[in-house]
Amino acid sequence: MFELSTNCANPKQLRQTDFSDFDAIYLGDFSCMEYPNNYCSHPELLEAAVSELKAQHKKVYLRLYATPGNEDLPQVREMIEAALKLPFDAFEVHNLGVLRILQQMGSTLPVHLGVFGNLYTDASARVLKDFGVTRVYPNPELSLTEIHYIREQTPIEVVLPVHGKIPLVISETCFIIENSQSCAKKVDSNGNSVCSFPCSQDYWLNRSNGQWVLKDTGRMTLSGKDLCMIEHIPELLQAGQSYFYIQSHGETPEYVQTTGRLYRQALQQAEAGNRSDDPQAEMDVLNALSKEGLCNGYYFEGAGQTYIARG
Amino acid sequence: MQSSATHANNYRPYLLAPAGSLAMAQMVVDEGADALYMGPLGWSRRPYESEMTDEDIREAIDYAQSRGCDARIVLNTFPSPLEMDAFTDKVKLFGGWGASGFIVTDVGAIRLIRELLPETQIHVSIGSGITNAMDGDFYQQLGADLLILPYRWGEAEIDIVRETSSIGLEVFLFETVQTGKICPGKCIMSSYLKFREWQQIEGDRDFHGSANRGAKECYRVCQTHWGFSSDNRSDNAAVNDHPQQLKLRSDAQLMLDQLPAYIDRGVEYFKLSGRERPIEMIRDLVRFYRRVFDALLDGSQTDMSVYHAEMEQLRQRWSKAKSRRVGTLMARAKSYSGDEPAASDTAVMSVQPRALSEPIQPNDAVPANA
Repeated sequence: MFELSTNCANPKQLRQTDFSDFDAIYLGDFSCMEYPNNYCSHPELLEAAVSELKAQHKKVYLRLYATPGNEDLPQVREMIEAALKLPFDAFEVHNLGVLRILQQMGSTLPVHLGVFGNLYTDASARVLKDFGVTRVYPNPELSLTEIHYIREQTPIEVVLPVHGKIPLVISETCFIIENSQSCAKKVDSNGNSVCSFPCSQDYWLNRSNGQWVLKDTGRMTLSGKDLCMIEHIPELLQAGQSYFYIQSHGETPEYVQTTGRLYRQALQQAEAGNRSDDPQAEMDVLNALSKEGLCNGYYFEGAGQTYIARG
Repeated sequence: MQSSATHANNYRPYLLAPAGSLAMAQMVVDEGADALYMGPLGWSRRPYESEMTDEDIREAIDYAQSRGCDARIVLNTFPSPLEMDAFTDKVKLFGGWGASGFIVTDVGAIRLIRELLPETQIHVSIGSGITNAMDGDFYQQLGADLLILPYRWGEAEIDIVRETSSIGLEVFLFETVQTGKICPGKCIMSSYLKFREWQQIEGDRDFHGSANRGAKECYRVCQTHWGFSSDNRSDNAAVNDHPQQLKLRSDAQLMLDQLPAYIDRGVEYFKLSGRERPIEMIRDLVRFYRRVFDALLDGSQTDMSVYHAEMEQLRQRWSKAKSRRVGTLMARAKSYSGDEPAASDTAVMSVQPRALSEPIQPNDAVPANA
């Protein structure tokens, strides 16, 4: 048995996307609480979303804002309070202060440590377990050998991202608003800054002489290339991994549906002891969905943007 | 560790100075640093030129201790789970030689050190990427003594941390108004773009290439020039910028004017960065800050404006050295700039990269939001 999960930021995405190939959904965009109708910052939207996903027999995890400043903590507490009244299956935290807040508020829900939680060692996994963490998302810099070791050494679930852009850095402010020439800051009649959400378009960072490309979503910078592990799925299952994740922040419904379908198919085939009939065809589909090509991150001990095929 | 509530009568903050070499260690002791910090080869997020051999660290500890100066060891990489035994050996080694504290990032490593050395001082490294006062509460629960505050934090944040927990506070002698990308602590851009080669001097380690994990240094890719534009496929001219050149993150500068307020708040440690800087520059900075702190603490000079001209000269020297440093790092990065793995990468892999099918098709405009 395996679990295949992805993320869903808001009601529009929930409405427009077919999540039927996924077993679990991480609700909310953890990088920016100002995103319109972000599940991370709108407690009034949670009940309908949980209800809809539960009706589809999915597990539902609530993401909490990854980089809360002191001024954001009351809103984070409000989200936790609302979520505790609903049938969520877990919280996801990236910030260790928020982990303490969950303890203080008496939450007994499982806690997943998110990608920006800096999980590098089994020693850290054991510490975090004492603070209520039940699942960890290893830092993307870890190799598969290290991730397998952590899973084997600690009584804690390990989620393994298998596809999508790699979160590389998170920010407390919006890079696009601060830097884009066409996105001057706007102010309302009360003097409060108003976001025009330029992040609804793609923004890219390029270093032409270095062939380096990154995607910037405002408060998060992602890899330009898409992590792709579809041809390595049999080895991942054999190594005992069972929680797989497709990172789809800012991607289209088509992207979510297609990647979900291909990976579920690959996982089911591998569970049955088979390999894909035509891995190159799947790779071509995934490559076409990407904008800057594919990589397999740091899993094979190379720099993140390299791609290593199965030998 | 005394908190601000208890320091009133015998408060004396530590001026914590860098030691990128044995010579720098001896020099900062002679110039009056209260404590120094140094990193063993491969374990402190710096190039080997500004880390030290175990033997030099032992000599530096002896030199410092005999002159009343504390020695702190930087072990602030995120270790590999496969090398925790080696990490433990380092802690025991330096603790046994008399190091009185450690600067650490990994939460597992913090607990490990606390169990091995119950009396040692544990500083939570800037690499932890904290963003709020409850982070301080977490690290205090974990057993840490001192929280190193982000460059961007000021008096208001210090007050909130003080209200939230009693963990000790350490500030860099930096200031910046910039928020933005959280560095260090929440950034792996450098290792996504490029790994680096191991140097013989650093010995063998079980992982490869990342600055966060001890493989030399971050290439400061945020401080080189990038083109930034919206998707060229967008038809919306209003948001489709022409590519513009910018840096992803700019650098902090030396701090001065905040010091009286920080002293009032009982900040326990003031840390000067610069293990990789020229030794003469560090000498002049330790000498300068020693003079400023002594005058502040005995009340003979609390007006920072008298130092402004001197500070400006120091800042210019600092910035010039920084620019040279970034240039050097980017020159190193260029040699690996292609998509293909560098020779050093393929050497550790059992399979070769292959070309993916062409072409890459454009996607529809991708709305991230509702």
